[in-house]
Amino acid sequence: MKPGRKSRWALAAVFTLAVCTFVGSALAPDGSSNARPFAVSQLAPKSAPNPLAGRLKKVYGTSTPASRYGTENADLEDEGTNVAGEQISELSPLPPRAFTAPENEYRAYAERWISSALTGAASLRRALAAADRPAAIAAWESTWSDYLHLGAVYLTGAAATINQAIDGTPGVLPGGSTDPHFVGLHRIEMGLWTGESLASLIGYDMRLEGNLERLRGVVAHVQFTPLEYATRSHEIIEDAQRDLLSGMDVPWSGQGVLGTAAGLAATEEVFHTLEPLISGRENTEGEVRSELLMLSGVLESISRHSHGGYPSLPELGSYEHEQLNGYVAGALSALEEMPGTLETEVRRPIPKLPPPSPAEKAAASAAEKAAEQTP
Amino acid sequence: MSPLDRRQFLTGSAAVLGAGALGAIAGAEAEAESRANAAVTQSASEQARIALGGELATRVPFDAPHQAGILTPAPAQAQATFVALDAIAPNRGVLATALQNLSTRARSLTQGDTVGAEELDDPPPDSGILGPINAPDELTITIAFGASLFDRRYGLQALRPRGLERMPNFAHDNLDPARSHGDVLLSVCAGQRDTVTHTVRELMRSVVGHLTPRWRIDGFQSARRGPTPANHPRNLFAFRDGTANPDVNDASLMDELIWLPPAHPPTTQPARPLATPSAPPASPGARSSGEPAWASGGTYQVVRTIRMHVEFWDRVGMFEQQKMIGRYRVSGAPLGGTNEFEDPRYDLDPQGKRIPLVAHIRLANPRTPQTADQRILRRGYNFDRGIDEAGDLDQGLVFVAFNQDIQRQFATIQKRLEEEEMVDYITPVGGGYFFAPPGAHGPGDWVGSGLFV
Repeated sequence: MKPGRKSRWALAAVFTLAVCTFVGSALAPDGSSNARPFAVSQLAPKSAPNPLAGRLKKVYGTSTPASRYGTENADLEDEGTNVAGEQISELSPLPPRAFTAPENEYRAYAERWISSALTGAASLRRALAAADRPAAIAAWESTWSDYLHLGAVYLTGAAATINQAIDGTPGVLPGGSTDPHFVGLHRIEMGLWTGESLASLIGYDMRLEGNLERLRGVVAHVQFTPLEYATRSHEIIEDAQRDLLSGMDVPWSGQGVLGTAAGLAATEEVFHTLEPLISGRENTEGEVRSELLMLSGVLESISRHSHGGYPSLPELGSYEHEQLNGYVAGALSALEEMPGTLETEVRRPIPKLPPPSPAEKAAASAAEKAAEQTP
Repeated sequence: MSPLDRRQFLTGSAAVLGAGALGAIAGAEAEAESRANAAVTQSASEQARIALGGELATRVPFDAPHQAGILTPAPAQAQATFVALDAIAPNRGVLATALQNLSTRARSLTQGDTVGAEELDDPPPDSGILGPINAPDELTITIAFGASLFDRRYGLQALRPRGLERMPNFAHDNLDPARSHGDVLLSVCAGQRDTVTHTVRELMRSVVGHLTPRWRIDGFQSARRGPTPANHPRNLFAFRDGTANPDVNDASLMDELIWLPPAHPPTTQPARPLATPSAPPASPGARSSGEPAWASGGTYQVVRTIRMHVEFWDRVGMFEQQKMIGRYRVSGAPLGGTNEFEDPRYDLDPQGKRIPLVAHIRLANPRTPQTADQRILRRGYNFDRGIDEAGDLDQGLVFVAFNQDIQRQFATIQKRLEEEEMVDYITPVGGGYFFAPPGAHGPGDWVGSGLFV
């Protein structure tokens, strides 16, 4: 053995001895009253009596046998129910008053965008009067995009009626695109993209301005329940996906990307107002923020390639289209957590039906038998 | 429905082919053609033996007082195609011929026929994609007419069934004209997809130049997956569908809810109360409604192509899903109950604390004496059309319902359903109102012949 290696062995032996001495002194029983650090204060007796008399057959506080408790409870939790039959959540409910400030903030935001849409509608009227179709198309796109910033598609009551007049599509009307109630932005869209006389569209635009004014008065007082407002956070983009990216609501202009970008802006606003409530509740805030950023990124990229505007759906490249579809779906998969994260109530158990009478039993049995006889 | 008698079927096939062989023997190349036809006969017999060995042998009669495919249990007919056609026949006589051809071909296909042989240089009379035997495979072909057939073109205005009109846009509809309405609707249902595909191809061929396609949609039934044989299959929202359908085996109930009564109903028999225990007797005025005589025994068919936004639905919590429907997703039992076939007992829940007042099942069928005669017979199919522009699955329900009076039944229910929360997750995009006339009486008759007497 070389001299260097011998000295290393000696040093290791001294170190091991020191560690053993230290641990041994710490664990050794100590009879003195002055307990030292790491000392064991008391040794357990060799046996102790069971403090609970008799043998337990049911899990305490339940009527479930211990042998089945784990399985049954797990099954209930999978269904979102506790042993008392209540609908459970891992989060404590928020007080409804927590939504007052976010909703006020949103209303102020909405009023600003109505003002902007009104400015756009006035520009549209001037372009129509000047028979300038490119300017009219640009003004229509601006006005429609401003309007969609409201996320107004889910307004209820009187606001919903006005919304139908402003942004309604012909499919829901008995006469379709020739129905006299087909007015508003999509009526103008049809005229602009199908070569209708611009002068014939001025009346629709004036009506649009009147409806926007009426809506401004209504939005200031529109009320939401907390659930409606929380749900709005994912429904705006859902709508954009279903109605705009599919091309369904923009058959003439094909401006589904522009509308989706406006829907994203509205969603970001709702999310922004709700962020103080979401913060710290599960991972929703981070996941939503991340997905919205990615969606925002792809829209910015599309806009850059389109020189600051947005291409119509037919003009959208296939890869960009796939990216956009994918990130919209990704954003929705994160946003779907919002209503649950912002729950304001504990759900009561569903009342049980009373046991069926003999006649009801017979009726159910007959129905079951009839269904069974159907091959 | 009856399993096709194998012996009769084979005898019939041999007779048809044998006749063909005799004709060929008379020709100059008799020997060679005889050998060829003998080979075909042998092959056809072998094919028939294989085809008729299983469920493909089951057939549903085409000729009957009421058309097949209405009360026929749908679960055994897992596949369907609905084709709407527009009439382009130049006159009434040609239209009649086209409809006659349609029934003739439908009769032979539904009863199982042999693919005939023609001259070798002629196109085969049948596409042959099912082989030499078109096994019946529980095939039904239901022929129905839209309101537009009764416009001025063919002078049929006076014969229009009284309740037949163009389907309106209901609230929340977004009907695409290219996927809606039509002069004639064919509902082709069978056990196997290739049977349906073949049938549609052959039927279109039989009316080419007289009826032209307007829209079509394919559908499928979900399998029955229990837990008991009685439990209904699920739709694409995963809820059981068809639980509350009226019993098709109750002939009297079908007379009350589905079939148009005789134009002059017999006065000797009192109207029978509906099957619901406390239902009032049917109003005779509502039943003998002045329909044209040719329509007796027919029924109104409502078809609605309903896009179901399945991704949206999948983002909804289970609790909310069940509240919207009014049933538990897994068992199909009404909320608060344990059994799919249990009465929801709305009378015990007037405030909707157990089953919300706007739950689908509650609005669709309130189960009151006043709504008993509004019930309809649903016979829907799921559809799956691929992916839309936004990358979402284009799936949904081909809602099909039969009823005696659209306004009293389907339209009333549909208006109630405008209040349900599920409207956010579905979009009706097509379909139409049609009238399915009574069935053909026999080989000399055809569906719709009553229009041309």
